Amino acid sequence: MGPKILTVDDSKTIRMIVARAFKPFACEILEAADGVEGLAVVNRDKPDIILLDYTMPVMDGFEMLNKLKADPETRSIPVVMLTAEAGRENVIKIARRGVRDYLIKPFKEELVVERVGRIIDLKAKNEATAKVRRYDDPLHVLVVDDKPAIHDHIRTGLADTPWTVSALPQAGQAVDFCTHQMPDVILVSLSLAEGAGFMLFQMMRAAVKTKSIPIFALSVKTALDEQQRAQQMGFNGLITKPIDLDDLKVKITRALNLDTSYRYFLVQNDVLVLKLPPNFNPTTANDITLNLRPKATEAVDAGLRKLLFDMSPLTSADVTLIKLGLHVASLCQELDIRYTMIGSAAVSAECRNYEETKDWQLLGSYDEALAFLAGKPPGGT
Amino acid sequence: MIEPFEVLLRAAVHEVFSTMVGLALEPHPAAACTFNGQPQIASSIGFTGQLTGVVYLYTTIPFAHRITRHLLRLPDPEPATEEMVNDVLGELANMVVGHFKSRLTDRGIPCVMTIPSIVRGSHFGIEPVSQTAVDRLGFHHASHYLVVEALLRDSRPAAA
Repeated sequence: MGPKILTVDDSKTIRMIVARAFKPFACEILEAADGVEGLAVVNRDKPDIILLDYTMPVMDGFEMLNKLKADPETRSIPVVMLTAEAGRENVIKIARRGVRDYLIKPFKEELVVERVGRIIDLKAKNEATAKVRRYDDPLHVLVVDDKPAIHDHIRTGLADTPWTVSALPQAGQAVDFCTHQMPDVILVSLSLAEGAGFMLFQMMRAAVKTKSIPIFALSVKTALDEQQRAQQMGFNGLITKPIDLDDLKVKITRALNLDTSYRYFLVQNDVLVLKLPPNFNPTTANDITLNLRPKATEAVDAGLRKLLFDMSPLTSADVTLIKLGLHVASLCQELDIRYTMIGSAAVSAECRNYEETKDWQLLGSYDEALAFLAGKPPGGT
Repeated sequence: MIEPFEVLLRAAVHEVFSTMVGLALEPHPAAACTFNGQPQIASSIGFTGQLTGVVYLYTTIPFAHRITRHLLRLPDPEPATEEMVNDVLGELANMVVGHFKSRLTDRGIPCVMTIPSIVRGSHFGIEPVSQTAVDRLGFHHASHYLVVEALLRDSRPAAA
C-alpha cells in the first residue's frame, strides 16, 4: 500500500484536499479532526508522516506536537505543519519542537506533495502496482535535444516499435511537458546551452512525480568531461552520438525492465520452445540468456520438462550461437529438462567444426523434435 | 491605523481565493455589493490579543456553492452538501484571517485566533458596538459578490 500519511486538521476540506493531492501515489491517507484523535490514530496506525494543523478544537497542533515529541515511540515520526498560522514567533516556537517542514495555508497541492516527497518515498500508483510491461507495449520517449536531426534519427529508429517519441529543443519545454504528461523515459542532450541538460536532470530528480523516470544522457563520444559529470550525477546511462539505435532500444528495455521473453519463448504442445530470431546477434543472445533461466524455471514450476531449441531461422553458426547452445544444454541438465535442437543442415555441419558441439545432432523439423521429446529419456540429443 | 489593515485583508483574500479556489476576485465597492434578498452565508473567525476583533466573509448561498465546487473540484452533477459549503467557507475565513493575523503578529501585535463559525440567513447585517472600527471590503466575480467585514478594537495602550 505504501507509506501512511496522517492529516490532522479540523477542516474536512483540508483533509479532502490532502487526500486528493496524494491520490496519484501509492500511499494510505489517515485522517483526524483534532489533536486527541490524531494521537489515537498515531498509536493505532503508526503513520510514516503527519501533516498537522495548528488551530484546532479539543487539542491544538502545538499540544499534539509536544505529546508526539515527548513519547519515545512517536518522536521520530516526521511532522510537517500545514497551517494558516504564519506569524514569525509561532513558526519559530513550533520549529523548535522539531518539525521537519512548515507549510502555510493557502497552499498548492503540488507543494504539499513535493515537501512530503522529500521526507518519505512516494511512488506513483501505476509505478507501485504496474504489471510487468512488454517490449511491444506502448511507451512514451521524450527526447530533449536542440538538433532536429537527432529528433528525426530517434523517431525513425524507433518506428519499428509501438513507442511514441516526443522531441523538444529546450529543457524548459521539457519541464512544462512533464507537468501535463509523464514520459516513460527521457533522453536529454548534455550539450544544451548553459548546462540546461544537467539542470533538467536535477529538476526531474527533485520532483516527486518525475524522480523515478529513467533519464539517459545524449553526448558526443569525445565529450568525456560531460559524460563523467553525467555519471557522477546519476543519469541512468549514456547514449553516445552517433546513436546506435539497437543499443538505445536495449538500454531503454533494461531501464524499464521490459519483458522481451515473448520474442523468443513460447509454450507449444507442453514444450517450452526457444526460437531464435533471423537477426540473431550478440545483443539478442544476451537478451535470450537473461530470460533463459527465469523462463526455464517457470516452465519446470508449471510441470513442463521439455525444451526445444529452434535455430532453424539461422543460415550459419558462429561462436555466439555455440555459446548460447552450450548454455541451454547446461541449464537443461541442471534443471532436469529434456531438450533437443532443430536447425538447418548448414548450421548442423558448421556445429560439427567446433570441438564442443561436434556431437550435436540437429533435427530437421518440429514434428521430429516433438517425437524425440516424447520418446527419448532426459539428457538431450 | 485602519488603512494598512485593509490592505492586508485585501491581499489575504486575493491570495487565498486565487491559490485555493482558482477564482479571481476583483475589488468592488462594498456598498454596491447587493445580495437582493438572496439567502446568504457568513463565516466568521474571531481573534483576541492586543487587537480584538472578528472577521466575517459573507456571500450568497449560490456563490458559496460555486466556491465549494471549485475548491473541492466536484464533478459536474455532484452537488456540494451544506456541510461541505460550511466547511469550505469556514476554512477560507480561517486562511484569510490567519494570513492577516500573522502579519499583525509580525508587527508586534500578537493575537490568538478562534475556530470558525457559520451563520446562514436572508437578512444578514453586522452592527458594531462602540469603539469598534469597521472595515468593509467588497469583491466580485462575474455577477457574484463577496464581502469581508472586519470589526476591530485596539486594546493597545495609547502612544504617549
